[in-house]
Amino acid sequence: MTRPVRFTFDGADIAAAPGASLAAALTAAGVRGFRETETGSERGIFCGMGVCQDCLVTVDGRPGRRACMTAAAEGLDVRRQPARPPLTPPPATTLTPVLRTPQVLVLGGGAGGLTAAIAAREAGAEVLLLDERTTTGGQYFKQASGSVPPLDAQQAEGARLVSAARAAGVEMLHGAEVWGAFPGPRILAADAAHVYDVAPRALIVATGAYERPLMIPGWTEPGVMTVGAAQTLWRSYRTLPGRRVAVFGNGPLSAQVALELARGGAEIAFLGEAAPDPLRRPGATFAMLRHDPRLAAKGAAMLAALARRGVRVAHGTRPTRIARQDATLTVSWEGPRGAAEAEVDAVCLSFGFHPQNEVLRLLAAQMRFDPRFEQLRPERDETCATTVPGVWAVGDCCGLGGAPAAAVEGRIAGRAAAGGGGPTAAERRALARHRGFQDALWRLYAATTQRIEDMAPDTLICRCEEVPRSALDASLDAGCEDIGAVKRATRIGMGRCQGRYCAPALAGYLARRAGADPVDAGYFAPRVPVKPVDIATLTAAEPLLAADADADAADG
Amino acid sequence: MADDLVVVGGGITGQAAALAAAEAGARVTLIDWGRNAGSAANAGSLHVQMQSRFLRLNPHLAENVERSLPLYRAAVAEWARLDAALGGVEMSREGGLMLAETPAQMAFLETKAARERAQGLDVDLLDRGALDRIAPYLGPGLVGAELCRDEGKINPLVANARMTTRLEALRVRRVRDRIVSVTAEQAEGTDRYPARAVLVAAAWGSGALLPMLAMPTPPEPLHMNITEAGDYRIRHLVQHAERSITLKQFRSGQVVIGGGWPAEGGADGTPAVLSRSMAANVALAGRIAPGIAGLRVIRTWAGLNTPVDGKATIGPVAPGAALHVALPGDAGYTLGPIVGRAAAAVALGLEPPVDPAPYSPERWRQ
Ligand SMILES: Cc1cc2nc3c(=O)[nH]c(=O)nc-3n(C[C@H](O)[C@H](O)[C@H](O)COP(=O)(O)OP(=O)(O)OC[C@H]3O[C@@H](n4cnc5c(N)ncnc54)[C@H](O)[C@@H]3O)c2cc1C
Ligand SMILES: Cc1cc2nc3c(=O)[nH]c(=O)nc-3n(C[C@H](O)[C@H](O)[C@H](O)COP(=O)(O)OP(=O)(O)OC[C@H]3O[C@@H](n4cnc5c(N)ncnc54)[C@H](O)[C@@H]3O)c2cc1C
Ligand code: FES
Repeated sequence: MTRPVRFTFDGADIAAAPGASLAAALTAAGVRGFRETETGSERGIFCGMGVCQDCLVTVDGRPGRRACMTAAAEGLDVRRQPARPPLTPPPATTLTPVLRTPQVLVLGGGAGGLTAAIAAREAGAEVLLLDERTTTGGQYFKQASGSVPPLDAQQAEGARLVSAARAAGVEMLHGAEVWGAFPGPRILAADAAHVYDVAPRALIVATGAYERPLMIPGWTEPGVMTVGAAQTLWRSYRTLPGRRVAVFGNGPLSAQVALELARGGAEIAFLGEAAPDPLRRPGATFAMLRHDPRLAAKGAAMLAALARRGVRVAHGTRPTRIARQDATLTVSWEGPRGAAEAEVDAVCLSFGFHPQNEVLRLLAAQMRFDPRFEQLRPERDETCATTVPGVWAVGDCCGLGGAPAAAVEGRIAGRAAAGGGGPTAAERRALARHRGFQDALWRLYAATTQRIEDMAPDTLICRCEEVPRSALDASLDAGCEDIGAVKRATRIGMGRCQGRYCAPALAGYLARRAGADPVDAGYFAPRVPVKPVDIATLTAAEPLLAADADADAADG
Repeated sequence: MADDLVVVGGGITGQAAALAAAEAGARVTLIDWGRNAGSAANAGSLHVQMQSRFLRLNPHLAENVERSLPLYRAAVAEWARLDAALGGVEMSREGGLMLAETPAQMAFLETKAARERAQGLDVDLLDRGALDRIAPYLGPGLVGAELCRDEGKINPLVANARMTTRLEALRVRRVRDRIVSVTAEQAEGTDRYPARAVLVAAAWGSGALLPMLAMPTPPEPLHMNITEAGDYRIRHLVQHAERSITLKQFRSGQVVIGGGWPAEGGADGTPAVLSRSMAANVALAGRIAPGIAGLRVIRTWAGLNTPVDGKATIGPVAPGAALHVALPGDAGYTLGPIVGRAAAAVALGLEPPVDPAPYSPERWRQ
């Protein structure tokens, strides 16, 4: 066993496994609340993947560090973050500016990005891949931190894919977060020591998805997190979100995570699925079997394994409210058997996925609203090229397709971006099969997404700015017509997560009130930064970008 | 039935005009295209002292600005009135600083301060020691500053929202339409809006509607940045004698960084942010106020400013005409309320809050 890493949290000693994120280490130590909000409520891990910005802590005098994305290190002074950190100058950080011009740049190192990078490399291109996570593999292949052996076949397969990319000569920069995208395309990113200005000949966006939340009163309490956050805690850091856990979701992820947590030693107090019982819809089950009997069998085995542990999926069931008393969460739900509640120490919530398409929207790729999944998807041709010349998009950032489809898309786009040929017949067939499976899968799990119209008035629609539904409705009654006006009137979407959770819900709500489907313009306008960016990063980027201004001047 | 007043343009100027008219008992319709309002993009600085940016970029217009200084003071007083009337717009008047890094910049500020004092402004020159006493958040490298006590800031999000509520309460009719022509009797878009008087307050859209005036209203696309919230410490509106920056903190803690860095695109689309403006603007802010370096920039945006000739335009297009103009010119959010109220008063034959004569459209008449 390797020696633990020691750091302090508000002065108290914490021991962490080497490679653990601060979030995992604090969770293991029983700390749930990491920061305070403007109204004095506490927040902790929610998304576990750098999106929600609720896990902020102050590290060595520098506020605004995401505990879920920051590795624990020996001697760190970590502190709970107040709603408004003091304006004390933080210790100086100097980042080295780096200008890169690879033939192919891949954003995201999940199933889609890794495969795309390998294919582009095999077609002869020089490839650079950026990923904000320090652990490799993306969401499906989620690798473990440190040097623990793979948890299962899924992780082992991911490890092989990462090694293959390395062996192929893909240059991979982990911990490098993309914060800017400008026409060109021109991508700006930063890691702990550098700021990158990348002007590739071809860009492949493979930024994946994040989870659609379930918005209910109490969804912001520490101890309440997305199903994926709990999964990352366990799969990457071997940390359980709690001892007694309730899981609510839609789709196979929640059952899978419930099983993983149960195997890891957690007690699953309740497992709720929004979709009705599949036994009542044999047609959909058969369709799924037909498309991919192996994956369908995997799903059935998973449910059987849960049943052996005494966990049964409660179908047609949704949580309604969560109340917290110290570390105890009381979660209430409603289902076909009426309403009930349980006391637990963690609640995992999710409701499908939202594509991380910010870079695509910033580059003005044409988007289309998909009414079935209620999300924007980029228009793509058969090589996965978007409407922007030189920009391809693969995997879940184009709408949920699953890891196998992402991998095939990656292969196709990677080759095309490197100047190679179009999809082969085998690739077309494989893609059709994977997409057919996803289609059947989501027919089986079909459930109406949560709508603002059905939410309690005290439900926070915007977690960051703490805007309840009642305030939103008041702004609409006062005559706000478009999403921008609502935002300016209520502060909905103005917070650190940049509207990632509220915007899709709000876009749908406004569109239904107007009796239409949402369009790209119905979401918040895409703007840089893609993620909140340090002033030190921008300062380091200045010479790179100023050189650009000089070039403009020279041009005339 | 014809309205007493139809206002074209629903930014701060048009809203203030509609408000003043409705408060005077007039029947008012306010028509807005809903595009690129500077009032929805601006940063809420209440400018009074002459902006060095404007002086440097438009030396030929310096005199216009100088002669408008009394209007700026009246404008801030008007905001104070609105702050009370609308029920709070997070206004503060703790003064504005213009920083100098060199003796030459300090000398520039001395001359400027003398000209401003002559126009009745409450300004002072501070050496580094005096500066540190009132603004300990400033970084090294500064030799002094000019302090203008009339300056301040408001939160435009709050102000716009409160304004909308107030107009609603006064039953001002609000219409979304693109006006394509105006006369003294009506404005016309997809619909016709007859009125006893018509007021054009359409910023960058005004020139095209008023061909009888040789008034240039090209939009100037500008860049803004905002950070996450920090402890409220930066109480002044901070500018620089030679470099483009306005830096301030909303009372809610966010630091707003702007100052005229360029954006891209015009009125026919949504203006786009330029990466170099973002980096240079924010880097400069970080050097001026090193304490903000612990906060992250969470959003940037671009909007359209309509500086015209740096001076407001208020009044009828021709003597006695019932077709009127209200354009604030530079620092238009500061000036919008006073300019809008003055123009509405003139259009309705009421006593204006300031003498509009120096701002007559006369100078644009063909
Ligand atoms: C939380 C979560 C859990 C999931 N769990 C499962 C599961 O257990 N089983 C299953 O079958 N499917 C699961 N899925 C779905 C599955 O992960 C995807 O179908 C598959 O990973 C798609 O691959 P991808 O390459 O498109 O995206 P991903 O694997 O998500 O990879 C995207 C990568 O892009 C990076 N990235 C995103 N934005 C930026 C940025 N701004 N800068 C730098 N890097 C960035 C991310 O760090 C990530 O590594 C999960 C999805 C999510 C979101
Ligand atoms: C990024 C930025 C920051 C700024 N910061 C400050 C600041 O801190 N302090 C300050 O004092 N000033 C600031 N300004 C300037 C200020 O915002 C504007 O000058 C001011 O808002 C102008 O107000 P307005 O009502 O005259 O015009 P606008 O707010 O621009 O409104 C004009 C309206 O007219 C409408 N319109 C145009 N044509 C037509 C038509 N044909 N038919 C119908 N409607 C039409 C448009 O839809 C628009 O809503 C800033 C400007 C920008 C862009
Ligand atoms: S939990 Fe860290 S950003 Fe969401």
